[in-house]
Amino acid sequence: MRHRLRLENIKRTFEDGGMQRTILDNLNLQVSEGELVAVMGPSGSGKSTFLSIAGALLEPTSGDVLLDGESISGKNKKELTDIRLRQLGFIFQSANLIPYLKVEDQLVLVAKLGGMNKSTAVRRARELLNKLGLTPRLNAYPDKLSGGERQRVAIARALMNDPAVLLADEPTASLDASRGTDVVRMLAGEAKERGKSAVMVTHDERILSLCDRVLYLEDGRLVEKQLALR
Amino acid sequence: MYLAIREMKFAKVRYSLIAIIMLLVAFLVLFVTGLARGLAYDNAASIQNMSATHFIMEKESNHRFTRSQLGEGDLAQAGSITGEKNAQPLGVKMTTVTTKGTAHKLDVTLLAVRPEGWLMPSVTEGTAITSQSEGQAVVDDQLKDSGIEIGSEILDQASGMKWIVSGFVSHESFSHSPAVFLNERDWQQLQQSAARQGADGTATDKSYSAIAVKANKEQAEQMASALPDAEVVTKSEAVSAIPGYKEEQGSLLMMIVFLFVISAFVLAVFFYVITIQKSSQFGILKAIGARTAYLVRSVALQVLLLSLGSLVVSVLLVQAIEAVLPNGMPFKLDVATLAGTCGAFVGMSLIGSLLSVWKVTRIDALDAIGRTAA
Repeated sequence: MRHRLRLENIKRTFEDGGMQRTILDNLNLQVSEGELVAVMGPSGSGKSTFLSIAGALLEPTSGDVLLDGESISGKNKKELTDIRLRQLGFIFQSANLIPYLKVEDQLVLVAKLGGMNKSTAVRRARELLNKLGLTPRLNAYPDKLSGGERQRVAIARALMNDPAVLLADEPTASLDASRGTDVVRMLAGEAKERGKSAVMVTHDERILSLCDRVLYLEDGRLVEKQLALR
Repeated sequence: MYLAIREMKFAKVRYSLIAIIMLLVAFLVLFVTGLARGLAYDNAASIQNMSATHFIMEKESNHRFTRSQLGEGDLAQAGSITGEKNAQPLGVKMTTVTTKGTAHKLDVTLLAVRPEGWLMPSVTEGTAITSQSEGQAVVDDQLKDSGIEIGSEILDQASGMKWIVSGFVSHESFSHSPAVFLNERDWQQLQQSAARQGADGTATDKSYSAIAVKANKEQAEQMASALPDAEVVTKSEAVSAIPGYKEEQGSLLMMIVFLFVISAFVLAVFFYVITIQKSSQFGILKAIGARTAYLVRSVALQVLLLSLGSLVVSVLLVQAIEAVLPNGMPFKLDVATLAGTCGAFVGMSLIGSLLSVWKVTRIDALDAIGRTAA
C-alpha cells in the first residue's frame, strides 16, 4: 500500500527564553492511501507544530517530510507555497473560508491559483459541491452558511486541486456532535474514495470511531493506542 | 484580480466610502490645479505667449519688467549676438486709463512692441497697428466688458496721452491687468512726456523696459558678458518676478501638495486598517497556496481601481464645473497638466498602499493553524 504522507525522524526545537525546548522529538508517521489518522494530545503537546510541519508551513529542525515519496526539505518559499497548493489540502478550525467569496468561488479561487482554466474549475467545483450536498448553497456567502456547511465547503476546497494529503486542524471544534460526526464521516469517505492520506488533529473523542487509527502525541512522539483499551 | 474585485463587490459600503473621500480629494486637487494654472496664465499671459527664451533687463531691476530700463545701445548689442531679428525691444508700463464718455477707471498694462516683430500677438478683431500708425492701440478683449469697442478712445491718466482702439487681441494680460499694445513711436512719446513731467531730460535714451530675445545657452552667456549693466534672465524667471505671481502660485502649490499627501495618507490608513483586520484571511490564503505576490497584486489593484475610479469621476466633475464657471474666473486645465496631475495622484495612491503591502508580506501562513476564529 502506498504511503502518500511520511514523516521521518522529525525533530523540532524552539528557543524559549534562552532555553532549548524540544517540541517534537524523533517523530515518525506513515499514512497510507485512503487512511484517516486522528492525532490527539493535550494542549501544548505540539499538535499545531506537528500539523504545521506536515503541512509545509514550518521547517523541522531535522528530519524529513515526504509527499508521495518526495522530500520537501531544502525547498524555497515559493516551491513550498506551490506544494501546499497542489499536494496538500487544508481544513482549518472554523471560519476558514474567505468571507467575500461565494461557495463556488471559494473552490474556483484555489483552482485558479493552480492555473486550472475557468470552465474546468467550475465543472469540478460543482461536482465536488454536489457530492458534499452543497448544490443548493452554490451562490451563498459563508456568513449565510451553517457551521457544518462551512466545514463541508472547506473539505471540498481542500479536494479541489486533487492533493495527495488532507490535513485537518480540529475541524469539529465549532460543531455540535451530530454535525461534527457528519463532517468527519465525509472527510473519511472522501479520503477513502479518492485515495488520499488524511490526518486530523482533534480534541473531539466523539468522532474517533470514524478514524482508521488514533495516535497520541506524548513527549514529542506519536504513540498508538487501541481504542478498545480506553 | 479575482479576489480584489469580488471583495470590493462584497464590501460595497466600505469601499464606496473610501472612494467618495478619494473622489472629493481628487476633485479638489484637479480644481485647485486648474485654478492655479488659470491664475498663472491670467497673470502673465502676455509674457508667456511671447516666444522669447530670455529677457534682458537692467541689473538692479530684480527681474521686474516695470523697474527695468534699457537703451538703444543694449538692443543693438543683443541684436549683434543673436541676430537682429531675434532681439525685440519691449516696453512695459502699468497705468490707469479712462475711456471717453465714462468716468470709469481701468488698470491696464501698456506693452510696447514692434508691430512687425514676433512679440506682437495676432489680432482677433479689428485691424492691427503698424509701426507707422500714430495714436492707435490694440487691446485685450477683456476690456470689452468695460464698454470699450473698436474706435473707443482711451486716455492715460498719468501722461494724458490718448489712443484709439483699432483692434482686439485675446488672452493678453500682465499682472492680472489687461494688456494694451502700442507701437514704438507712441511708446517713445509716452516716455518723453513722462520725462518732461519728471523734469529730467536724461531718461530719453533709456527707452525700453526689456529686450526679448530668442537665444541658445551660449548666446545668453555671451550677452551677459557683453552687457555688464544688464542681466539675462530666462522666461520663467521673468514670469515669476511679475508682482504677485510667485506668492499666488506658491500658496496654491502648497495646497496641491498637501492634498496629494492627504490622499496618500487617507488611503494608507484605510488599507492598513483593512489589511490588519484581514490578516488571518491572508494567513489562510497563504496556507492554502496563494503566493504573497498574488496577494500584494490584489491589494495594489484595489488601490489602483479606487484611485482611477475616483479620478475618472472627478475629471468629469471638473469639466462640468469648468463649463459653468463665469468667464472672470480664470481656470485652465490643459491635457498635459490634467494627465500629469492624474498620474501624480495615482502614484501617490500607490505610495499610500506600500504600508499595507509591507504588512501583507509580513503575515505568516502559520497563523492559520491553531486559530479558533478568523
